[in-house]
Amino acid sequence: MNVCRKPNLAHFAVTIIGKDRTGIVADTSEVLYKLGCNVEDSSCTMLGGEFAMILIVSHEKPFSKKKLEAEFAEKNANNGLSAFIRSLKDDEICYQEPVGELCLISVYGSDKPGIVYRITRELADRGVSIMDLNTKLIGTLTDPVYVLVLEATLPQGLSVEDASGLLDNLKKELSVEISVRLITPVSL
Amino acid sequence: MAVKSIVTYPDPILKAVCSPVSSIDQNVLQLVDDLVDTMHAGPGSVGVAAPQVGVSLRVCVIDVSKNRHGKENNHGLLLMINPEILEASGSAVMREGCMSVPDYTGDVERATNLTLRFSEPDGTVREFEASGFEAVAIQHEMDHLDGLLFLDRIASLKTGLFRRKSYK
Repeated sequence: MNVCRKPNLAHFAVTIIGKDRTGIVADTSEVLYKLGCNVEDSSCTMLGGEFAMILIVSHEKPFSKKKLEAEFAEKNANNGLSAFIRSLKDDEICYQEPVGELCLISVYGSDKPGIVYRITRELADRGVSIMDLNTKLIGTLTDPVYVLVLEATLPQGLSVEDASGLLDNLKKELSVEISVRLITPVSL
Repeated sequence: MAVKSIVTYPDPILKAVCSPVSSIDQNVLQLVDDLVDTMHAGPGSVGVAAPQVGVSLRVCVIDVSKNRHGKENNHGLLLMINPEILEASGSAVMREGCMSVPDYTGDVERATNLTLRFSEPDGTVREFEASGFEAVAIQHEMDHLDGLLFLDRIASLKTGLFRRKSYK
C-alpha cells in the first residue's frame, strides 16, 4: 500500500520494548486499535530476553502524539514495557524502492570487537544501503562466535563480485568468514 | 492477440481452483495467445497463469529463456494446458514476487526437479523434465491454477536463521 496517497493521515514511529512474556503484541495493538490507529508497517522480534516492536502507525488528522503517549503511559505503567513515540514528517513516510541488486551478506567468526562497525563502514563508504540486519552471539562462553547477516542493495555499477571483493581485506583482518550472494527477487 | 490487464489480490478468482480444459477450442487458443502477449508485456515476467487474466481455466505459459536465472537451462516458450506434476524432487529457496501481489516478496521453497505432463495447443500430450529456475517458475504458475499464491508458501521470516532452538 502506498501510504503517500493518504494526505489526511498523521504518521508516528512507535517503539515498544520490554521483558518477553505472552501478550505484548496483543496489548500494544489493543491500545492502537482502540485509538483508531492503523499499523502501516511493523517489525517485531526477540532480542535477548526482550521483545521489541517497531511500528509505523497512522491516524486520521487531527491526532496528537500526546494522545498516543498518554495511552501507552497508562497501559504500560505496571507491565514493564517502555514506549517511545516520534512524529513523522511527510518525507519520512514513503518507502523508497531500492534500484540496485539485492544481496545477502553473511559474516561469522570468533567474537571480537568491531565486526559490525568495520563491515558496515566499508559498505556505507561504497554506497551500499542496508535494508535489514541481524546479529547474534552464539557458541559457548569460552568460544563465543559472532554471526551477522544483512540484506543490502548495491549501488548501480557495483556487482555482487565487486561487493565480495570489497570485503576480502576485512575477511583476513578480522579472521571471519564472509559470503555475499544475490537474492534479488524473481518476478513470476 | 491482446495484452490483458493483470488481476491482483484480493480478486477472488486468484483463490479459486481452476477448471480443467475439456476441449481445446478457439477460446482456449485465444487465451493462450493472450497469456503469451501479457507475459511479454510484463517487465521481466517469466510466466502468466489464466486466472491472472481473469479466466479460471488450467492454462499457463512460461518462458524463462530471457531471464538470467533461466537462460542456461530452459525449454523456451511453454504453452501448458491442464499441466500435471508427475514427480518432484530436490529443494531450493528463492525470493519470489508476483504480478498479482504487487509490492511484496517472500522466500519460497520449491522442488528443483519436475516431471510434468501437459497438453500443447495442438492437442499433443507432452511429458518432459524441468529443473532449476524453470521448475520454480512452473510451480509458481501451476499454484495459480489451484488458487495458491506465493503468500501461501512463505518459507520463513527473514530472521528465520536465528530461530534455531529446536531441531526436532
